[in-house]
Amino acid sequence: MSKSDKIKILYIDDEVNNLVGFKASFRMEYTVFVAPDTIQAFDVLEKNPDIRVILSDQRMPNQTGVQFFEQVRTLHPNPMRVLITGYADIEAVIESINVGHIFRYIRKPWQEVDIISAIEEANKFYVTNTMLSVKNEELQKAYDELDKFAYSVTHDMRGPLLSILGAVDLSKNIDDINEIREMLGMMEKSVLKLDNFIRSVHEYYNLKRGDLHIVNIDFNSIVTDLTDMYDITRKMANIRFVTNVSQKEAFRCDEMYLRIILNNLLSNAFKYNRKDISDKFVELNIETGNGSSVITVKDNGIGIHESHIGEIFKMFYRATNEETGSGFGLYNVKDALTKLNGEIIVDSKPEEGTTFKVIIPSK
Amino acid sequence: MTPNKLHFIVIDDSKLDCFIAEKIIRNTGRSETIKSFLHASEALDYIRNAPLATDGLKTILLVDIQMPVMNGFEFVESFDRLPKEKREDYIIYVLSSSINENDLNRVRYHTSVRQFLNKPLTSNTLSAMLDMVH
Repeated sequence: MSKSDKIKILYIDDEVNNLVGFKASFRMEYTVFVAPDTIQAFDVLEKNPDIRVILSDQRMPNQTGVQFFEQVRTLHPNPMRVLITGYADIEAVIESINVGHIFRYIRKPWQEVDIISAIEEANKFYVTNTMLSVKNEELQKAYDELDKFAYSVTHDMRGPLLSILGAVDLSKNIDDINEIREMLGMMEKSVLKLDNFIRSVHEYYNLKRGDLHIVNIDFNSIVTDLTDMYDITRKMANIRFVTNVSQKEAFRCDEMYLRIILNNLLSNAFKYNRKDISDKFVELNIETGNGSSVITVKDNGIGIHESHIGEIFKMFYRATNEETGSGFGLYNVKDALTKLNGEIIVDSKPEEGTTFKVIIPSK
Repeated sequence: MTPNKLHFIVIDDSKLDCFIAEKIIRNTGRSETIKSFLHASEALDYIRNAPLATDGLKTILLVDIQMPVMNGFEFVESFDRLPKEKREDYIIYVLSSSINENDLNRVRYHTSVRQFLNKPLTSNTLSAMLDMVH
């Protein structure tokens, strides 16, 4: 077991001899911290929040072990508490359980096996508890997202549908074919918006539930696919698409996640172009080396206002009215990157353009 | 007696919804003018800079709730901070696809909002609504 894998424990006793003896006995198995009084014990806990088990003597000059544990419970609720005492009267036992919420009670002079068994059992409890609180946090996050999701569904899915419904209703009384055509064009946009939203929901689900499938990535073939995919969009909006791939070494990653990231960044770059300039471009640079890939997506589009940059990765956040955004794309990008241990940096100026830089380590 | 004419301002981030609203409003025959805004902030600027009404006509505001950048609630809150004599020219109706209880309660809480209307806007709802405005 390497040093960092050892369970961290803290022992408090006002008799320095006991501290020395304790440390000598258990330093091989555990990372042992000791403190001669409870003030110093709090100091140690402050600096080492990952201490899992605290063993304390009961009789100490300024504070009893039970009083100390009572305080520890509120300030450092996670570590397990073990009381060690030579005076085993029933009152002290009752108090230590009721007030100090101790895990074990060990009688002095202690036997090594008792201490080890107490630490091992306490550690099991500690691990289970921490896992539980991590799971609880995940669950809470999932619930929060579900709430947001349910709320957004009423708008993002009902919205386009009701627009179409309104248009259908209205067109019943319109005879002018040109007007009908104009409305059909707008209805088409609503349908595309709804479809776009449903696709993003699908991506979101894949990202949340899926496990990583790590494969060797060939960026050249991905970029060829992307070039084909955006060819029509590019031509219709008259945008130059410049790609640059330099892959010097193998890169291992989940291809679906990678494609979700690239797709969302590129579709944004193409979507939020500036209609008023002639030389529109989207640039995709991928450089792989030193165990990671750096992907840069740069455009000279409408840009993002400074006050919105902090919000763009939030679910359903939309910083602009332009185009049919779902408020889902960049959230999914961030989510995928979290799973890939990657990071993303945004640099943007309104009316000048946006650059997203993504760094992903090879798996 | 023919009912009063009215000015209309539609605020909705969906072009199609603005278009539908404009059509339906025009069909009622009550509109003196109709303006649409895709951005609530632009509508607010417009209202802020508009002179006080001299024709004695009220302006009906139809505001969507969920819009990016400035949503319907934020719009109403900013509107509430305009001078009283300015606000008296306007009547606000909130129009939304939302079926969320919180949204509906929030609308009820805003005294400056006359009524909540469900999308899609239809001639019947609009006519019924305008019958109450003189």
